Parts: sequence; structure tokens; C-alpha cells
Amino acid sequence: MKAFLRIVLAAALVFGAAAVHAAGKTHAVRIEGMKFVPERLEVAAGDTIVWTNKDIVPHTVTAAEAKVESGELPTGKSFKFVARKSGEMSYICRLHPVMHGMVVVK
Amino acid sequence: MRALQLATSLAAASVFAIAAAQDKGPSDPQIAGIVVAANKIDVDAGKIAKSHSKNKEVQQFAQQMITDHTAVNKQAGALAKKLNVKPAESDTSKSLKSAAKDTQAKLKKLKGAEFDKAYVDNEVAYHEQVLGAIDKVLIPNAKNAELKGLIEKVRPAFEAHLEHAKHLQASLK
Repeated sequence: MKAFLRIVLAAALVFGAAAVHAAGKTHAVRIEGMKFVPERLEVAAGDTIVWTNKDIVPHTVTAAEAKVESGELPTGKSFKFVARKSGEMSYICRLHPVMHGMVVVK
Repeated sequence: MRALQLATSLAAASVFAIAAAQDKGPSDPQIAGIVVAANKIDVDAGKIAKSHSKNKEVQQFAQQMITDHTAVNKQAGALAKKLNVKPAESDTSKSLKSAAKDTQAKLKKLKGAEFDKAYVDNEVAYHEQVLGAIDKVLIPNAKNAELKGLIEKVRPAFEAHLEHAKHLQASLK
């Protein structure tokens, strides 16, 4: 009985750890000097991406096709997005369409 | 129209030449005054464009100028307050304002395609002059590191504006 309990506990620990892993990593993208840094980011499905505006002017994170829209982010504000679908998601700043970024979800 | 563009460019060139020719560069309060005046001028020009232009791309550009230059001035104001620097007038800020007054009066008389061209030509010339002033006058003379940092941080936005304005200029031809 004791041995059985130990197995159950061990299993709980293992699956618990797996659950934490499935929640994914968090990746940070800075918006600075009219650029997304890094411009290209590779993540795993389930990972979280946090864009933070470190620039002096407002920006957005907009991927029309993927229906991702942060709204206007003033200086210092962040936008969080969980990447669920694998594939490439290219995005722009709606206010400054010269600014491009790409998220590759593995 | 070329006359307006030329006059605007000359006015702006002479304005910044005044700053460059001063034996002693502008002080930090004067630099803050120049930054605030330069941003406000472009916000005002953007507002005129919003009410005078019917071109969607020109309207979008004008809105971007209003949003960005307002944001820069908000930060400049907050920094000046934090550093206890009171933006001060200088020959440069005064000349900037009087040149802008002339340009705006001329712009207000124009309509349609004529207005769009004059506004965008002026935006190209203005951002070129401001970038020149940032590099030659404002950054080299700013004594406070945070003030210098703010101007350095603003530079990429002004560069992007210039690129955007040039792109618009080419599309209006």
C-alpha cells in the first residue's frame, strides 16, 4: 500500500510538472526605436509572448489575418498573447506600417 | 508651389543656422523649448491637414503626426517637470514658430491636390531640418543625460516620419 501511494505521488509530481510545462514559456518582445526587437521570434504552441512598448510614441501589435490586435499601446504598456496555432504569424504596427515582426509557432 | 516649398526649406534652414551659429549652444531649458515648439508645430500642421485634405493617405499620415508628436511632447513635458527644467524661449524657438505661422497661413489657402502636395512637401522639408537640428544642435549641446536620452529616443520616430512623408510625396506626383 505504501509502495502504491509512493507511485501515485510520483506520478502526480511527474504530471504536475508536465502541466506546468504545457503552460509554456514566456517570451518578451521590446518595441523600441520604431522596431520590434527581436523582429523574428520562434515559440512553441502554448507559449506566451509579451510585447512591451519602450518607445516614445504609441504602437500596436496587429496581425489582421490572425485577428490579433493589441489596440494602441502607450509608452510602458504591454500586450500579452498566447500562441496556440502553429504556423507563421506576421504582424505590423497599425500606426506605423513600416514596422514588421514575425512569430513562428512550432 | 515650389516657391512655398523653397520658402519653407529656406526658413527652416535659416532657423537652425541661427542655432548652429550661436557661439554658445542652447542651454537645456532652451533645448526643451525647441523640442516642445518643434513638436507642437507638426501637431498643428497635422490638424490643418485633417481638416483640409480629402486624400485618405494624407489624412492617415496627418493623424500619425498628431499622435506621435503629441506623445513626444507629453514625455518631454513630464521629463522637464521631473528635472525641474522650465522650457525657455530662444531665437531658434521663436524663429521656428514664426516660420510655422507663415507656412500654416499659406497652407490654409490651398485646397485638394494642391494642398496635399504643399503639406507633404513641407513635412519632408520640416522633418529633414529637424533631424539635422537633432544631430547638429540638440544632441551635442544637451547637458543633462536624460534630456539627451529623450532626444536620442525621438530620433528613430522622426526618421520613420521622413521616410513615410517621402513615400507619400512620390505617390502624389
